[in-house]
Amino acid sequence: MVHKVSLIAAPTGLSPGGYVKKAFADRNAPQTPVAELEVVKGLTGWRIRLEWDCSDPVTSLADDVDRFVDAAAILAPGAPDAPWMSMGAPGKPVEGALWRADREALFGVRAEGLGTVERSDAPAGWSAMADRQAGKWRVSFHAPSWSALDAQQQLAVAVWQGAKGDRGGLKSVSSGWIAVGS
Amino acid sequence: MTATETNRQIAMVLDLNKCIGCQTCTVACKKLWNKDTGTGYAYWNNVETLPGAGYPRNWTETGGRTDQGEVKAGSVPNLDEDYGRAWTFNHDEVRARAGEGEQKPWLRPKEKPKWGANWDEDRGEGSYPQDNHYFYLPRLCNHCTHPACLDACPRHAIEKRDEDGIVLVDQDRCHGYRFCVESCPYKKVYFDPQRQVTTKCIFCLPRVEEGVAPACARQCPGRLRFVGYLDDEAGPIWKLVHEFAVALPLHPEFDLGPNVYYVPPMSPPKLDAQGRPTDEPRIPTAYLESLFGKQVHGALRILELERAKRRRGEASELMDLLIAYDWNENFALGERKREVL
Repeated sequence: MVHKVSLIAAPTGLSPGGYVKKAFADRNAPQTPVAELEVVKGLTGWRIRLEWDCSDPVTSLADDVDRFVDAAAILAPGAPDAPWMSMGAPGKPVEGALWRADREALFGVRAEGLGTVERSDAPAGWSAMADRQAGKWRVSFHAPSWSALDAQQQLAVAVWQGAKGDRGGLKSVSSGWIAVGS
Repeated sequence: MTATETNRQIAMVLDLNKCIGCQTCTVACKKLWNKDTGTGYAYWNNVETLPGAGYPRNWTETGGRTDQGEVKAGSVPNLDEDYGRAWTFNHDEVRARAGEGEQKPWLRPKEKPKWGANWDEDRGEGSYPQDNHYFYLPRLCNHCTHPACLDACPRHAIEKRDEDGIVLVDQDRCHGYRFCVESCPYKKVYFDPQRQVTTKCIFCLPRVEEGVAPACARQCPGRLRFVGYLDDEAGPIWKLVHEFAVALPLHPEFDLGPNVYYVPPMSPPKLDAQGRPTDEPRIPTAYLESLFGKQVHGALRILELERAKRRRGEASELMDLLIAYDWNENFALGERKREVL
């Protein structure tokens, strides 16, 4: 199933601490307004393709200190009522994978609220192939098994464009969970 | 540990009248803590010439606080333009051509440097001989009472220790977002692009825990650094900050409660057109006020009065303290549990 997903700027007002919510209070527009999402459940597991426009890709920090790399995340609710915008809540986790343009291996991610994201190695067999053509990033995730997605049939996405200063809570996100079907 | 022993604040006082800009503190710190390739550019401790652009360049304009102490969007300095990338040298070329002819190749940076930690050393301002002036400002993390970096980190990766107020980055939690770098108005948090985490001064925590002063203070040939706890009424910090009120925080208008204090620099008088001394100091007091706030006037007055006492042959506890006859008395950190430099 292919979804045209309108993205919104993750609300900086939710960000933990006092700096981000004030310094970026006017960052209301998404740096990536739309993404295309295709989700297929097959014999070999979940295949998830995410595409978005990116005219100025950043694939490496290049030993600079003021660059941020492009990235994307796919997450599923670990509980039926896990909230997306706050990255889950205590006892209601969200989980998934984080692709970064400067590394081949995926991160596994899990969170139970803003500021609680834990990165780890992605589950065995999870992978992502990324390529950039015609001004678009296309990242194809493969998860041989993903019990949270099997159970909830919902997915959310986040996209970071490094050239636009995206990092952490400065990101473009789906406005809620997206029903993916199977 | 009792309740009264927690929530203490360690602090440092630096007497700017004694700093000779030798950078021994900078080297002591760098050699001890910052030899990783990703932090080649980073100086937890640096000494800059003022008036000047400092390190990183124009740092006072890039932090996350207004002059009224309000949060504003800061920026991450650029490595080449603002910090100055660590230089690499043509050692191989020089070594290979060492025996060739009379014209020896110069040892020089491979890349054309654009800025550095001490780029505008000894420039200062004014015109010789009337009012040329400069002084040195050693800088390190202020281990603020209300750290902007801690407030900025959405990961809760920065903590301020109850027992001594030292501000630390938990690099296992840090995801390298650099909001801390942006927000710190003193620009004393650094990003390591190799390890993709931030780093900052740890106030030589392992030394302090054993009663030994930080390397920058202990190695200072000018004996201008004092280290101790703010609430220790018998220690030098209390005397300089509270009792004599001659040690002032840098840019108090950021309203973060910095815990590094400075005894402001006095200066000889300006000369008039005929070369005669005037009543005005060479370093404009208004400039010092822009650094240390309005209290600088009172601090300078006290310093003048105490110096005058000494000139008259009278006793001055303040001058004796600042002279640091026995440099061990500059530090009051409790029992020293080991002997180190």
